[in-house]
Amino acid sequence: MTVTDADRVAPAPRRTSEGVPTRRAWPRRALVQLATYAGAIAVGLFAFGPILWMLITALKPDGEILTSTPVFIPSEVRWDRLANVVTGDFAVYLRNSILVSGATVVLSVAAAAMAGWVLARYPLPLKRYLLILVLSAQMFPFVVLLIPIFILMRQVDLLGTHTGLILAYLSFTTPLVVWILRGFFQSIPIDLEEAAMVDGATRVQAFRRIILPLAMPGVAAASVFGFISAWNELLFALSFNRNNPELHTLPVALQQFIGRDTTDFGMIMAASAVFTVPVVVFFLFTHKRMTQGMVMGATKG
Amino acid sequence: MSQLGTRPTGEAASPSEPVASAPPARRRRGPNRRFFEARILPALFLLPAALFIFGLTVWPVLRALQLSFTNADLSMFMTGEFDYIGLANYVEVATDAHLRGVFVTTAVFGLLCVLGTMVLGIAVALLLNRAFKGRTLLAILVLLPWAVPRVAVAALWEWIFHDQYGLANWMLTSVGMEFFEGFAWFNNRYVAFTAIGIAIVWQSFPFVALAMLAGLQSVPNEVMDAARVDGAGAWQRVRRIILPMLKPLLLVLIVISTIWNFKIFDQVFVMTEGGPARQTELLAITTWREAFTQHDFGLASALAMGMFVILAGVTLLYLWLIREEGEL
Repeated sequence: MTVTDADRVAPAPRRTSEGVPTRRAWPRRALVQLATYAGAIAVGLFAFGPILWMLITALKPDGEILTSTPVFIPSEVRWDRLANVVTGDFAVYLRNSILVSGATVVLSVAAAAMAGWVLARYPLPLKRYLLILVLSAQMFPFVVLLIPIFILMRQVDLLGTHTGLILAYLSFTTPLVVWILRGFFQSIPIDLEEAAMVDGATRVQAFRRIILPLAMPGVAAASVFGFISAWNELLFALSFNRNNPELHTLPVALQQFIGRDTTDFGMIMAASAVFTVPVVVFFLFTHKRMTQGMVMGATKG
Repeated sequence: MSQLGTRPTGEAASPSEPVASAPPARRRRGPNRRFFEARILPALFLLPAALFIFGLTVWPVLRALQLSFTNADLSMFMTGEFDYIGLANYVEVATDAHLRGVFVTTAVFGLLCVLGTMVLGIAVALLLNRAFKGRTLLAILVLLPWAVPRVAVAALWEWIFHDQYGLANWMLTSVGMEFFEGFAWFNNRYVAFTAIGIAIVWQSFPFVALAMLAGLQSVPNEVMDAARVDGAGAWQRVRRIILPMLKPLLLVLIVISTIWNFKIFDQVFVMTEGGPARQTELLAITTWREAFTQHDFGLASALAMGMFVILAGVTLLYLWLIREEGEL
């Protein structure tokens, strides 16, 4: 079985460069292939096992959760916990999370699209330092920003509002999104813009009608990135709105729920699943671009 | 707030409108338009992002620096007053055994997490770079932990490490390690950090694995084939070709994970809240606790500045590394 797999999968050019495989090479190759599959299964279980366990626990009947021997295949599937999350108390937190993350993304992507384009196209004085600032802003520990922003929000009376939280989130989404979008604008040939301007368009029109539509995949990837980082955020949300349960986002609600009642793991896992699924869906569609964007941003500046 | 975001956009668009809508002006490349497009336009377009970045990151850092020299506490909100107390907060950080210990714990724990993440990430990248059936499926499965929100990761692993009903204890017991029957993972700092570390590595290895895989695939096949023809073994190919070619990427990944791991807050806050008896406090947790439960904003700011200095150092290293790569 493994030998035939190895045979089928091994790319043809590789074998020509190695010449005709000798008889002694075969058992060794089969062994390596066997080890590959063993490793693949181990890694797959380590990566996906916990997530599967989360889903199984969320969908189990109550009696099969707190058992000394884990029940891997539930006797029946209970959807009511997930339904509870989507319609019950958690519905409010879900809505808060969507609202705050959505507004954060719209504002930061709008600002970052313009700034990213200027940073990609214009030779500005001190541009290098501006770029370094944008890049370093992503590294700032949230805790350093937290206290001054908290005090500021308290002074302008925005604590205990979504607006305050959205403003605070702009502090870490904007630099990230500027950086990603600048990379995308750079990859679009400047000739297209110049051609439009020769045809009589203003520079703003060229940006809006030609460049922005072409950069849409990048805008989408950057939006997902910004959305996820706001969606996941606990520290600001916890510190700003701790005493306003009706304003809690999902991370805060989940953290408080765990603190309050650590025995209802069915509900905790159901809430975690609802919290996780949108991110997983986004990731499946955009992960290539995101890894590329980050690695390119990381290694190519 | 929404004004803050949209007003500059409107302003940026409106000055161009008359130029666009008045036909005679359209063809004219007069000095006004050139001046607008060369000077005003970039400034207007940079304005909103600059406001966010300066107002919400640069200014707060400076403000934290200022607060770290004060005795600012809750009464500041009532009276608006606080006193400058010089370096007293820094002296306290340096002399208080617990606070000093937190820096050491954060560094040791952070670096161990970096080590675990890098080793596992690279191993998985090498695995994914091989030809085998189901490789695409494995790549997707490996991606998933990265997508799980940090608080959900903490909730999930807290459940797995549950003393009575957790999967971890059941697995360890069923392979014959009776010691783990009912074992309490969160009652002792070293064991608690082990559990938290596993959760953190589980979530962070996918990024390293996928980035390294992209790097590995950028090594030209011809080079590898030539090395193979010349009789280089697998290990030699890794050491002589892959490592030198991927060194910049590796360094950048190490720096990024170091930055991420020094900032850890969510996982520890959910899993132990820094307990038992503050034994699992990391720098971010201690800073938060000093500010939001002790209301000692001055001391918390001094701690935050300590963290800032460490991360600024790592960030400078990062910037220097990517500068070697050109561009910036």
